[in-house]
Amino acid sequence: MLKFILRRTLLMIPQLILLSIIIFMLAKMMPGDALTGAFQGNPDVSLEQLEKLREKAGLNDPWYQQYGRWLGNAVQGDFGKSYVHQQKVTSLLAGKVENTVILSLFTLIVTYLIALPLGIIAGRFTDSWADKAIVTYNYFAFATPLFVFALLMMWFFAFVLGWLPYGSSVDIKLESGTWDYFVSRAKHLVLPVLSGSLLATFSTIQYLRNDIIDQKLRDYVKTARAKGVPEAKVYTRHILRNSLLPIAAFLGFEITGLIGGSVFIESIFSYPGLGYLFIQSISTRDFTVVTALVMISGTAVIVGTMLSDIILSIVDPRIRIE
Amino acid sequence: MAKKQLMLLASLMLVLSVFLAACTGKDDKDGATEKEPSKDPGKTEEVEGEEEEPAEDPNAGLDFPLEVSNTADPMEDGEMTIAMVTDTPFEGTLSRVFYKGTFDAEIMSYFDEGLLATDGDYLITNDGAAEYEISEDNKTITIKIKDGVNWQDGEPVKASDLLYSYQILGHPDYTGTRYTYMIENVEGMPAYHNGEAKDISGITVSEDDKEISITYTEATPSLLSGIWTVPSPRHHYGDIMTGEVTMEQLVESDKIRATPIGFGPYKVAKIVPGESVLYERFDGYWRGKPALKELVLKVVSSASILEALKKGDIDLASVPADQYLKAKDIDNVELLAKVDLAYTYIGFKLGKWDDEKKESVTDPNAKLADKRVRQAMWYAMDNETIGKELYHGLRFPATSLIIPVFAGFHNADIETPSYDPEKAKALLDEAGFVDTNGDGIREDAEGNEFVLNFASMSGGETAEPIAQFYIQNWADVGIKVQLTDGRLHEFNSFYDRVEADDPDIDIYQGAWGTGSDPDPSGLYGRTAAFNYTRYTSEKNDELLAAGTSEKAFDTEYRKDIYNQWQELMADEVPVAPTVYRYALTAASKRVVNYSIDPNTDLWLYEMGVSE
Repeated sequence: MLKFILRRTLLMIPQLILLSIIIFMLAKMMPGDALTGAFQGNPDVSLEQLEKLREKAGLNDPWYQQYGRWLGNAVQGDFGKSYVHQQKVTSLLAGKVENTVILSLFTLIVTYLIALPLGIIAGRFTDSWADKAIVTYNYFAFATPLFVFALLMMWFFAFVLGWLPYGSSVDIKLESGTWDYFVSRAKHLVLPVLSGSLLATFSTIQYLRNDIIDQKLRDYVKTARAKGVPEAKVYTRHILRNSLLPIAAFLGFEITGLIGGSVFIESIFSYPGLGYLFIQSISTRDFTVVTALVMISGTAVIVGTMLSDIILSIVDPRIRIE
Repeated sequence: MAKKQLMLLASLMLVLSVFLAACTGKDDKDGATEKEPSKDPGKTEEVEGEEEEPAEDPNAGLDFPLEVSNTADPMEDGEMTIAMVTDTPFEGTLSRVFYKGTFDAEIMSYFDEGLLATDGDYLITNDGAAEYEISEDNKTITIKIKDGVNWQDGEPVKASDLLYSYQILGHPDYTGTRYTYMIENVEGMPAYHNGEAKDISGITVSEDDKEISITYTEATPSLLSGIWTVPSPRHHYGDIMTGEVTMEQLVESDKIRATPIGFGPYKVAKIVPGESVLYERFDGYWRGKPALKELVLKVVSSASILEALKKGDIDLASVPADQYLKAKDIDNVELLAKVDLAYTYIGFKLGKWDDEKKESVTDPNAKLADKRVRQAMWYAMDNETIGKELYHGLRFPATSLIIPVFAGFHNADIETPSYDPEKAKALLDEAGFVDTNGDGIREDAEGNEFVLNFASMSGGETAEPIAQFYIQNWADVGIKVQLTDGRLHEFNSFYDRVEADDPDIDIYQGAWGTGSDPDPSGLYGRTAAFNYTRYTSEKNDELLAAGTSEKAFDTEYRKDIYNQWQELMADEVPVAPTVYRYALTAASKRVVNYSIDPNTDLWLYEMGVSE
């Protein structure tokens, strides 16, 4: 097991390097740089001055030179300086990572809290009214664009009912560390988390339901039933264990989807996390931040798939690698 | 069974689409405005007749107030919430010398101010925290800080704090974008900037540290609107001159990101990065006691701003122009508007940038070298309709390159082309651009095919309709125009190509923010990098130089020069200004003592809320 994890981890390194090269190249191919937009409304800066700034920031060097510099520093944990925010990328991200991790973690938990029971019910009681309702909800979740749904949720819960705040991560007037502060943070999380997770459930529900229906007809289930195993136990002990396999395998992709979704959720709810920052950095050509952010989400994908493999090998002894 | 499910799904989607229309602020009216430009002469006249209306009065047609109507007294210890409408977080570099984003500027405006106040023409006055005097030769300005002006940590504001701003801006390690002409113009600044001198020879500070005099290499009236007067708190930041901190440390430090100070009416109590700022009243404010006890400034996404205003959560917000129609129906809010420091224009590519000489070179054989063709294209554009239909009147036809905001210099009387397709046709005929092969499209003077490539930026719902509308306008007078590459271009790529004089661009649509100095040489001078049309002429050089010469301290003289320049531009038409724009502010009806008029007598510290 340890050997397996170690091997996967080592394999990550060339994957990440390749990823960084592609990203760096693509980022440099985008027209414009961080200084292109800086002159708008500021026509008083001379051309020489602008050129000097470009030169200072190393923006005139060919991409492979810039990449070499970047990689050298990145290995030492220095991801360069954000041109727009004028601070180290690492300290810039440090403030936002926490927000996004909290948001993603809760979204993931709530997604499974909703999806697992629903998938099990739908699979176990096929064609009942509950199943039909769940399947309908699932089509709905599959078809609805995230940003539309998020706006709808905001409109209804924040403006019509007025129960929840419509944006930001906390009420600024509360002193951090107090009980009220945590309540306020939790309240601000409800809408983004619900908007994200109510839609993220569809794949889990669908896979779980199909697999349970599939497993129900298998010989080992018939055997169990014939031996007189109680129905509830047939499901919890026999069917569920096998049906959860694809769900576990899906965890990695689920994490990737969350990071993609946070771009929408965070900018709609003005929630200062990585996704929010990502949009800004792309439009202002803040390359260092873009590169760092894509590296983070790339790493998350790679780690996520590795996690899936590990979970899979734990729950399914058949594919365990010795 | 399956059919029933499908029905249910379909009805759900239907309900959803209704919500969608309600939520995204999409305006059906916008889509419906690809109105056929009027081809029959009767209609043309009608439009023309409307254009006779004096477009000079910026508030003509639309009656927006500049000041809130509530005249009650502000309540004691009121609290206010102000929205920054944006879909991206603010950067939070809260120092005038370092900041980049406009929202950072807004955040600073509540805790920080310049030492000299400005009037309606953006010229410096003596009403601020300091008074100034300009020497006989117009080269030296002396600024004297008034008594009782203190930083929010209790330290007095010193003349050497203003010096510190200049020391940072000119510093060899400085990487911001504010080393401008007016900074460079300070005597001894280039030497200091290149690291040849330790001090800036043109700036001296008095013994008692209350008076500073700045001497310029060249006297220019831009001094009156372009002088830097925001001090930097040396005791708070630490001193880069003594090596106490380095430039890099200072930019990254919490001193400007978490605990910035100024000497404005409100002090920063707390910042949630990228999201909101909490201010408290600064009791030691030099003008007097600020009306509000607390002030919250927070980011609100453009999707939720209208609902937030309606709910009464937000007292003040700038409203995006495309949400105007919905915003004006909100009961508890009133809309204020002023003409923005900007204009949109169509640029005609007339030459190339010479990288060796660092100047624009006009090509006499350029496709659009004949000014009559350019004039005709201006005459052909129906900007009135664009402003009315696509912007609901929030944009209106532009006449001159000096915007009406500069009331003293904007000349409303010069003859500028307004929508008149017949005139356009006549001009084209005169220039010899006639249709020789009978396909309805004019050929150029030599009888060759004449097709123009038009570059325009993407962004917003109106970008595509506007570009298509102009193309139709030009087609109406027989000029064939097509979009460069057949599509719109993203902002960065657009400016990259325009700047590089891409041969696939003959004309382009751009916009400029003018800043508060009427001097246009940064955009139209021979050596100006932003002179994207590459238009040059001796007369132009002459007038631009005269406009900022020492003689131009005489306002009448300067006015005359800029009149001549505006006339020259309207005749030569290197660019055709299309529309000026209004900037909208929504204020809750409980807001008092607030005005967006730069000419107002109200100061920020008086702004408050009524019961």
